[in-house]
Amino acid sequence: MADEDDPGAAARGSGTGALGALLLADARLPTGGHAHSATLEGAVAAGLAAEQVPAYIRARLRTVARTEAAAAVLALRAGRGRPVDYGPVQAALAARTPSAPLRAASASLGRGLTRLARALCPGHPAVAGLATATAATPGLRPLRPVVLGALGAALGLTEAQTARAVLYDDAQTVTAAALKLHPGDPLATVRWVVDAADDIEAAVRAAVAVAAPADLPARSAPLIDQWAAEHAQSTRRLFIA
Amino acid sequence: MLDPTVSPVSPAPPGRRTLRLGVAGPVGTGKSSLIATLCRELSGEFAMAVVTNDIYTDEDARFLRSAGVLAAERIRAVETGACPHTAIRDDITANLDAVEDLEEEFAPLDLVLVESGGDNLTATFSPALIDAQIFCLDVAGGGDVARKGGPGIGRADLLVVNKSDLAPYVGVDVGRMVADAEKARDGRPVLALSRSDAASVAELCAWVRGVLAEHVDGRHVPQDPGPMAPHSHGPAGHDHGHEHGPHTHVH
Ligand SMILES: Nc1nc2c(ncn2[C@@H]2O[C@H](COP(=O)(O)OP(=O)(O)OP(=O)(O)O)[C@@H](O)[C@H]2O)c(=O)[nH]1
Ligand SMILES: [Mg+2]
Repeated sequence: MADEDDPGAAARGSGTGALGALLLADARLPTGGHAHSATLEGAVAAGLAAEQVPAYIRARLRTVARTEAAAAVLALRAGRGRPVDYGPVQAALAARTPSAPLRAASASLGRGLTRLARALCPGHPAVAGLATATAATPGLRPLRPVVLGALGAALGLTEAQTARAVLYDDAQTVTAAALKLHPGDPLATVRWVVDAADDIEAAVRAAVAVAAPADLPARSAPLIDQWAAEHAQSTRRLFIA
Repeated sequence: MLDPTVSPVSPAPPGRRTLRLGVAGPVGTGKSSLIATLCRELSGEFAMAVVTNDIYTDEDARFLRSAGVLAAERIRAVETGACPHTAIRDDITANLDAVEDLEEEFAPLDLVLVESGGDNLTATFSPALIDAQIFCLDVAGGGDVARKGGPGIGRADLLVVNKSDLAPYVGVDVGRMVADAEKARDGRPVLALSRSDAASVAELCAWVRGVLAEHVDGRHVPQDPGPMAPHSHGPAGHDHGHEHGPHTHVH
């Protein structure tokens, strides 16, 4: 059940999948992403230099972002199932996100996406079912990849499109924040994203290959966890996390 | 698939009790001080909470907490990713989250004040976030600012010309500045305010009480000042922001 992109669907003009993939990857989506740095602000405070930002992007694509992309694919499948149950993927992802500030950041982004999903397609079972995520982790709202998967199901995205949206957004969150944290040429940061293409596609393939929540890779990055913890205590910051 | 029968717009639930009041305006014009004044004067009368949008720090929230005018846990700071104008207009997520959390935790609230990050003259609140907004200028910014216009100056629910006590020191004629502002606002209210002038503080409180009463009665309809306003081109050409839309020239 390999879920390849279906260029035919877009050509036939049917469905919102291809458009939805662009929408979910667009930084202009009003869901709160502009106030996040993917922990780059904490990393820079700890001494990460401008020329190390591309390596930071790659490190995320091989660790935390890979786990999140796989979780989004699992959530997409859950959103297509009946009855919808996001409990297992939400619990598996929460267990693989050991940093409390990073769980909170993911839940905060998930909250913004949930508001969008409810405004866009409130009656869709994949959206209505988001309550099952919170039920599995009391006190923790649906995490960002879970809601992205739900939106992917509602908009008709493929598994690869959903995973790529998560990974692309992760990389672009870093580049956008980098422009506020390090002096630099905005055009140069576009190169960082293009250069990450192979890493993104490798992570897409890995995400689509994950069969069940128990197989979700546990790829946290201890330094990112530490920077996120320090950032949460900082009194001078531009970004939530 | 999208359900075309469901409106994508989600208006404020009818009958929401809490009035959400925004305070916008350029850096340092006295927004936090105005909010502190309102808390001091009105928190005995109304159940209140505050959200601040700081740019680099949570200093505004800390200033308000240290002023002791409201319980510290009723004052929340949100980060804006260095985009204070975005956070109150184009992507209001962080602010909505904070406002909804306060309304839930301290229910029933009568009034939530939202302070924007000090920004330029074009920044105004989205009506999806707030029900009414005050735009705050000060006399120290110069007597010409009110005439320059902008959406907040032209169409906020209330324009405050703050720090009127400083007028003699900065060579500004407050009466003239207020008259200029009134002309730019088609009769919408303008208030010359100083925290040391009790009569002006009483007028401010009376205005807030009035809006609150209208909101509770369902008579108040949120107005969007909009991102664009009529503006004039000075001799040097452009004195407006980066928006380009239908220009209304005022000469
Ligand atoms: N003389 C005088 N000074 C005032 C008045 N109101 C505020 N100030 C002073 O103006 C300065 C800025 O006041 P704030 O209330 O911090 O201004 P703000 O608009 O919140 O500033 P930002 O949040 O940084 O944009 C402070 O030094 C205040 O003490 C007033 O009525 N009269
Ligand atoms: Mg302030």
